[in-house]
Amino acid sequence: MAVTVRLPGVLRDAVGGKVKIEASGATLADVFADIDRRHPGFRSRVLDDRGTIRSYVNVYVGDIDARDSGGLGTAVPDGSEVMVIPAMAGG
Amino acid sequence: MIERLALPTSVRDDIIAHARAKAPREACGMVLALDDQLVILCCENVHPTPVTKFAIDARVLHQVLTQIGEENIRAIYHSHPATQPFPSPWDRDGAQYPDAFYVLVSLRGPVPEMRAFRIGRSIDPDEKRRWVREVPLA
Repeated sequence: MAVTVRLPGVLRDAVGGKVKIEASGATLADVFADIDRRHPGFRSRVLDDRGTIRSYVNVYVGDIDARDSGGLGTAVPDGSEVMVIPAMAGG
Repeated sequence: MIERLALPTSVRDDIIAHARAKAPREACGMVLALDDQLVILCCENVHPTPVTKFAIDARVLHQVLTQIGEENIRAIYHSHPATQPFPSPWDRDGAQYPDAFYVLVSLRGPVPEMRAFRIGRSIDPDEKRRWVREVPLA
C-alpha cells in the first residue's frame, strides 16, 4: 500500500525537511514503522513510550481522525493521504 | 534587514475584538493570507482550562492545512487576558509552526497590548530549548 504522508510544522524536521513523503503500509502503525526505518527517530516524535499517538499530535487518514477510527490500527488504503498534524496550543 | 510583521489595522482590531469577547478565557485563531489579503480565522479554544491555556480544534487545523495550506498561515494568535504579551513556557513548548509568526494580545491594562514573535526550536530533537525573538509590528 503506497501512501503520501504530509508533515506540517516541526515534524518535517524528522524527515530531513520534507513537507511530503511517500511511505507504505496497510495500517498507520506500518506506515510509521516504514518512515522510521528511513528516518530513525520519527516514530518517537509521533508516538509516546506506550506506542500511542502523542497528545500534541493529530493524525488524519484522508478526512478521518485516526483517534476516532482505531488509532494506529487504522487502515490506510492504497493511494490515500496521511497527515500528521502538530497541535496548535499554548497558554 | 530586520524582519517585520505587517498587520493591517483592521486585522489588529479584529484580533483585539475577539480577545475582548472571549475574556476571561483566552481567545485563539490564525491570520491567513487569502487572495493577497490578511484575514483572521477566529477559532474556538477547546483547551479544558481555557482561562490560562489554549488549543485550536484539530478538525479546524486539518481543514486549514488541506484547504488553505500551511504556507498561508501567516500568524497564530492568542490572548493573555491578565498577563503580559510575551510567550509563556506553554507557548514556547507548544510552538510547532516555525514558519508562522506568533501574535499575542494582552488585556491586562486598560489599553490592549499586541506583540509578535518568532518561536523556534533547536534542530536537535532531544533538545527541549526554544528560542523566542520579538518581531516588530508594522
